[in-house]
Amino acid sequence: MSVRMIARRLGSKLLPRFAPAATLHSHATSFGFKEVNEEEKSQLVGNVFTKVASNYDIMNDLMSGGLHRLWKDRLVSKLTPFPGMKHLDVAGGTGDVAFRILETINSGRAMDDTLEDNLQEETQIYVCDINPNMLNVGKKRAQERGLGNLGSLVWVEGDAEKLTFNDDSMDGYTIAFGIRNVTHIEKVLAEAYRVLKRGGRFLCLELSHVDTPIFKQLYDYYSFSVIPVVGELVAGDRDSYQYLVESVRRFPRQEVFASMIADAGFQQVEYENLVGGVVAIHSGLKI
Amino acid sequence: MVRGSRVGVEISKSLTQILVCPLSKQPLRLCEKSNSLISDTIGVSFPIVEGIPCLVPRDGEIIETEDTPSDRKADETTQE
Repeated sequence: MSVRMIARRLGSKLLPRFAPAATLHSHATSFGFKEVNEEEKSQLVGNVFTKVASNYDIMNDLMSGGLHRLWKDRLVSKLTPFPGMKHLDVAGGTGDVAFRILETINSGRAMDDTLEDNLQEETQIYVCDINPNMLNVGKKRAQERGLGNLGSLVWVEGDAEKLTFNDDSMDGYTIAFGIRNVTHIEKVLAEAYRVLKRGGRFLCLELSHVDTPIFKQLYDYYSFSVIPVVGELVAGDRDSYQYLVESVRRFPRQEVFASMIADAGFQQVEYENLVGGVVAIHSGLKI
Repeated sequence: MVRGSRVGVEISKSLTQILVCPLSKQPLRLCEKSNSLISDTIGVSFPIVEGIPCLVPRDGEIIETEDTPSDRKADETTQE
C-alpha cells in the first residue's frame, strides 16, 4: 500500500492532458462505455441497482474474493468513529460500512459507564441511498445482525447530489463504491462539503486505476472476461456487471479525483491505493 | 413496535431536526396524518414508506391544497 499526499496548491501540476470540465461532462454522459443523455444516466444506474440488490453482497464476495470486506474495514479505520457521532454513509444501501462503524463504536464501550451509555444512544449513522431496493436489503441485514432495533441506524432514501441533511450536521461522510455511479461528481462532493461539520472527514472508497504493467493486463482480463460471466452465472445478469467494469474505467484517475475533492473545498486531500490501485481510498478534511 | 397507522411516528424528533428539504434545504415538517414529510417552503410532500423517508426530489409531490398531493412531481417544476 502506498500513500500519496496531494496538497491543494499542487493541483494544477497534477491535472493531466484534459481539463476537469471535460472529465465532468464525460462522466455525466457516460454509462460505462456507452454515451447517454445526462437525464438518462440516473435512471439507467437505478435499473442496474434494482436488479443487483438481492445478489449484491454475494457478488461482492465472489468478485473480490472477499477482499471488499478488508477494504471496508480499512475505510472505517480511517474514520475513528466515536460514541455520539453523527455520520452519513452515502450510497450505502446494503449497510456494510454503516454496520462496521456502529460495531466499532459499540465495541469500544467501557463497562458501567453511564456517560458513554448516554453518548452511545445519541450515535446516529444515516444510511442514504437513492435506491429503495438496496435500502430494504440493508434494513433486513441490520435485523439479522442484531442492529435493527437500536435506533442508531437511520435509513433514508435520498440523492447524493441533493442531500436531505442540514448544513454542518455530520461528523463524518463516507461513500463506498458509490461515487462512480453518480451523474455529477462535483455536485456530490459539494453536498458532502456542505453537510460536514468543520473538522469533519470525507472518505471515499472506490474502484480505481491500475498502472503496473502485467498486473494491469491481468486485472483487465479479469474485469472484462471473468466478471460479466460470473454475473451471468450467479445473478443471471451479464449486462449489469458489464456496466460495472466499464464504469470503473470511465471514472477519473486517482490524481484527478483528488483534485476534484480539493476543488470542492476540502483540505489535506490524500489517497491510498490498495491492491496496486484496484481500489483507492480518498480522504479530505473540512476545516 | 406498533405497525400500521403508527409507522410515521417512528421518525423521531431528532431526525426531523437534521433532515431538510433536498431542494430548498429548508426544514421539513412531519405530517402524521398523511405519513409524509412536508416542505412548506416549496409546498412539496415526501412520503415515508415502511419507515424510510423518501427524500429523492422525484419522490416529492406538489401539495395543491391542504395535505392533498397532486400528480405533478416536484422536480418537474423546481428550478436548479
